[in-house]
Amino acid sequence: MWFPHLRGLLVALHLLAVTLLALPAPEGGMDRATWKDPTVQDELAAWAGRLDGWGVHVTPPELEDRLWQFSADYMHARETVLRPFGPYYEYCGTYQSWRMFVAPHRYPTRLHIDVHEHGEWRPAYVERDAQHDWLGRQLDSYRFRSAIFRFGWHGYERDYGRFADWVAGHAARDFPDADRVRVRLAKYRTLSPEEVREGREPEVEFVQPVERRLEGRR
Amino acid sequence: MSGAAPPGPSGGLRPPARPGPPAHPNPWARWVAFLDRREPGTSLALFRIAVGLCLLYAVSSVVWSGALPALWLNPADGGYTVVGRPWLFRQLGGVTPAAVWAVTGVCLAAALLLVVGLAGRLAALVALQTYLALTGLNPDASGSYDGVFTNALWLLVLASSTATLSLGCRLRTGRWASDRPATAWPRYLVIYQLVLIYCSTGLHKLSACWTPVGGYSALYYTLQQPTWQRWDMSWLAWAYPLTQAATALTWFWEVSSPLLLLALWYRATRDRPGRLRALFNRLNFRRWFVAVGVAMHLTVFAFMEVGPFTWITLAFYVCLYHPNEWREWWQHLADWLARRSATPGKPDS
Repeated sequence: MWFPHLRGLLVALHLLAVTLLALPAPEGGMDRATWKDPTVQDELAAWAGRLDGWGVHVTPPELEDRLWQFSADYMHARETVLRPFGPYYEYCGTYQSWRMFVAPHRYPTRLHIDVHEHGEWRPAYVERDAQHDWLGRQLDSYRFRSAIFRFGWHGYERDYGRFADWVAGHAARDFPDADRVRVRLAKYRTLSPEEVREGREPEVEFVQPVERRLEGRR
Repeated sequence: MSGAAPPGPSGGLRPPARPGPPAHPNPWARWVAFLDRREPGTSLALFRIAVGLCLLYAVSSVVWSGALPALWLNPADGGYTVVGRPWLFRQLGGVTPAAVWAVTGVCLAAALLLVVGLAGRLAALVALQTYLALTGLNPDASGSYDGVFTNALWLLVLASSTATLSLGCRLRTGRWASDRPATAWPRYLVIYQLVLIYCSTGLHKLSACWTPVGGYSALYYTLQQPTWQRWDMSWLAWAYPLTQAATALTWFWEVSSPLLLLALWYRATRDRPGRLRALFNRLNFRRWFVAVGVAMHLTVFAFMEVGPFTWITLAFYVCLYHPNEWREWWQHLADWLARRSATPGKPDS
């Protein structure tokens, strides 16, 4: 007789645990440096403009400060509420992380890998470029895409450097005539539909260039 | 305890047939009685098979691409970054190539057991723990699909998913299919989890681009991100209004997904009065929900490389249908195939 009641209690607790964790939260986004990314700044400017139109006068920096404070308080309260369910999430795999495409990255990056051979640089791998697809089988796989996506964001510099080391190890093996390899990210503002139709090209800036010497790796 | 649901018109959350046990007076008693319902295990069996197949694809494709050492091993062993130490690997003595490959093999074997339907709960538990261990090695190389997998596997641990359409059923009864009833509440939890995923992701979409403020431009710009696209998508500039309509539809559909729960309840209690109930049933809300959802996921699959996300999420859809519906469709298909195979052989009259 007691089992149906225990089951009822456990199922109710399960529903409570997963629902609370699925409520919107800026998890993974509580890094002030990340908020300085132009994509985030554009979002703040858009919402500040809209609020201004509704009669709520706030500048983008003021909006950022208020949102930051609210988010910090909210995350603190959320952590307190969710703490008892922590082991259930961790060991039963009931994490609820559904922040999928919450905001399109307006300033995306494209990974470039170049090798230095016979005194000049040449591209070996360019993300989504079928002409330059060295290591493409690995780098284009769905899990590697997630890792590469993060390299352009603040906080992943150390992983990016290790990735460059990993690339250098493979370059030393695959390009016997090369003496250096370079990893960098092409960062650009995505063109609007109007700009694409006008035939404009994105203005690309190469950021986070990292070079590795190949001698000693063979 | 209520018995298996009788055959006939069916819905996603079928209540006990009327006349049945008397209505319970208080909410807790109704809740306990709701969780006590039983039904044939067909929907959960199909869910198990679909999850097993998706898991086979998700893990074997990492192996097949040659990315496993890079993603899940330490730099000294061929990895690109220092990996974590999930509890399973701590128990195994650390993250060594032998341990990672062994856990990968066990995960694939457990996925295969799920597909064939042997050792149901144990196979799901082993698949869950090995998958958690593998994906916990490098959280940077993970995505929302991992959460969909682990939630699905945990629900399979709770469910009696090998009651039918399984090798276990074959060994137990001598037949591949069985009418043995299983508890229905795990199927309800699968449905709730699906709605939670959609509603939560919709509520997280606070970017101006998902709203009129940003001109409903989210899908256009998302599809321009090189990380996820399969090929160049700049041609969408000439189909921009379509992407705007799809953005608005996607956001509205996700945020309003809890209506599916209401629709399934109305469908299951269609003999009760109420204009809203009648409207939902006349519209066949579930059919529209599934049509939009399948179209959205297949479009994502066509244009973007998001790993197993499309397929593992669609696996949840099988639980939107009552086991009797699956059985009726199977019977229709079998009858149709029988008629088709009989027709050419008929002598001319």
